Amino acid sequence: MWLIFKKEFKELIRDRKTIMFMVVLPVLLFPLMIGVTVFFTSSAIKKAESEVLQYAMVGDAYAPHIAQAFIDDTEHFELIDIGDNTDYAALIKNETLDFVLVIPEGFTGDILASGQQKLSLYLNDAGLNKVMSRVSDITDKFASEYQSTAFATLGLNTEQQEALIEPLVIEKENIADEREVWGERIGGLLPYFIFFLCLQGAMAPAADLGAGEKERGTLETLLISPMERYKLVLGKFLTISAAGLITALITVTSMATWGIVISQGMAIEFVAEIMALVGILDFVLIFFMLVPIVAIFASALLTLSIYARSFKEAQSYMGAMVMVIIFPVLIAMMPGVELKGGWVWVPLTNVALAMKELFKGTMDYFALFGIFTSTAAIAAVLITFCVYWFNKEKVLFR
Amino acid sequence: MIEISGLAKRFAVENPKKLSEQEKKDPRLQGRYFQSVRDVSFTCEKGQVLGLLGPNGAGKTTSLRILSTALTPDAGSVKIAGENVLENPLIARKKIGFLSSSTGLYGRLTGRENIAYFGQLHGIEDNVIAARISEMADLLDMHSFLERRAENFSSGMKQKISIARAVIHEPELVILDEPTTGLDIMATSTVMEFIQRLKDKGTPVIFSTHHLDEVQALCDRVVVINLGETVFDDTVSAFSDLSGGRMHESFLKTLEGSKEAESNVVNF
Repeated sequence: MWLIFKKEFKELIRDRKTIMFMVVLPVLLFPLMIGVTVFFTSSAIKKAESEVLQYAMVGDAYAPHIAQAFIDDTEHFELIDIGDNTDYAALIKNETLDFVLVIPEGFTGDILASGQQKLSLYLNDAGLNKVMSRVSDITDKFASEYQSTAFATLGLNTEQQEALIEPLVIEKENIADEREVWGERIGGLLPYFIFFLCLQGAMAPAADLGAGEKERGTLETLLISPMERYKLVLGKFLTISAAGLITALITVTSMATWGIVISQGMAIEFVAEIMALVGILDFVLIFFMLVPIVAIFASALLTLSIYARSFKEAQSYMGAMVMVIIFPVLIAMMPGVELKGGWVWVPLTNVALAMKELFKGTMDYFALFGIFTSTAAIAAVLITFCVYWFNKEKVLFR
Repeated sequence: MIEISGLAKRFAVENPKKLSEQEKKDPRLQGRYFQSVRDVSFTCEKGQVLGLLGPNGAGKTTSLRILSTALTPDAGSVKIAGENVLENPLIARKKIGFLSSSTGLYGRLTGRENIAYFGQLHGIEDNVIAARISEMADLLDMHSFLERRAENFSSGMKQKISIARAVIHEPELVILDEPTTGLDIMATSTVMEFIQRLKDKGTPVIFSTHHLDEVQALCDRVVVINLGETVFDDTVSAFSDLSGGRMHESFLKTLEGSKEAESNVVNF
């Protein structure tokens, strides 16, 4: 069995395509893609915050102080004369203007007399822009002034003012610690991501070790070697499992490392916080729970691959299998599904739920028994079936 | 002595309803099964080279796959020195060296690694494997490509490595399925010399071929299979005498008995 594993693994690491999926993609391409996305997003945000917005103001005569404030802020705003043109939408769409601010007739700062004042802001709010917040930065100052004047007129003290602005306040006393909050946020997505990586890493070698042998014409020669069929299957199964686990490990390690490097000064505290909250034991448990999961993937993939006549046929079967495997993980992300009762015994879903619980720090360690038993049992059944499958002439000589 | 008697093997037809009218007329088609091998029997003595002839789809490859234990027969026996090897395929595989018709190699392994891997599967010590590879590299003229990866090998190179791989464990019986198909003259000559060498060493060789000149040059016995049955089993001279020394005509003569049925032969 180890002889088979050794030979298959040697071939695996000599395959450029596999190395691409296992190492190059996770170490360079994924982080590069994330880095580029982060770079462009942050650049776009910076640009939206700092670019000079071209605007027009209608009814400026009713609020000359507001109009003047915009005119004075030449670093951020540039007034454009639109004459009598009232087709604001067309002007914004053809990018002549970024926004039009309309001050209603009879506008006054005496809000006690006028009631609530409504300004209309015309803008194209599709895509990333900071128009609303930047306009609000200026108008809020005047709103605050109007408020203070009104309060002074009414003779209200500070406490009364606060009560009037916000009569009822709910003070949230969150009993969940920081770890539970972060665990709930990222713990649901993490299994989906890790499962997918394990599967992705195992797919290429699985297709090669089963259908690839048929296509190359090496399977027949292997079948007549004096090695028991179950050892041949186990050797191949171990290779596929190792590829899946290695891909997942490399990817997660790479993303964590690059995450720290790329987001220096941005999210480093966030990463450090998570790493500090989740203990080494939890990472070890996550890894051990992945072992039977990868075994399930590897045996299912090998079974399909052995059945397929060609590499291409194997890949099409595997594509369908991804959907089947992702479904139990999606169930774990649904609200109300928790690691309790029957869910402890549902393979894949239970591991996905357990990973979330481990991240949250709310893991019921007794559930591990059910998780390991059910996933290991399914893995054992699938491996046994794979060995049986590998002995069927109608499968091998299709 | 190698004694093959009454081999039979049938396969399920995937979509019997989709068969053409001509396919449906094949006498080996029985319901949803195709009787690829119906009754194949022959013998091969120690040191003999036996040429297995037959038209395409006659059942040669299936018969050889049964001999190699890749397929399990529905009926029949394969005895080497009186022992039915099909009862214990693992032991049989140590005694048999088989070269299939597809010269598949592991492309990302070198020629040497391809041969050595099968030596290791047979449980042979590394130093013994190295010595045998060296010996076969001389015999099959493989030194120039032995350390190169097999992915870019020519057909001749692949076939030489495949032959070396099939005999690395020094089997008691060597089975070669169309070993010279697709090879150039030089490579064919090397393979022929290698078979001759096995014969000289007393190793029985069974090989299927479509080249009657190879049969004439190397074989002691000829077996012709048609429609899954042995239709001729005798010495080369007896085969040749069927048509006064004209091998091609002798071959056609052996098929005459089943000529009517032959017109309906289909390759499944």
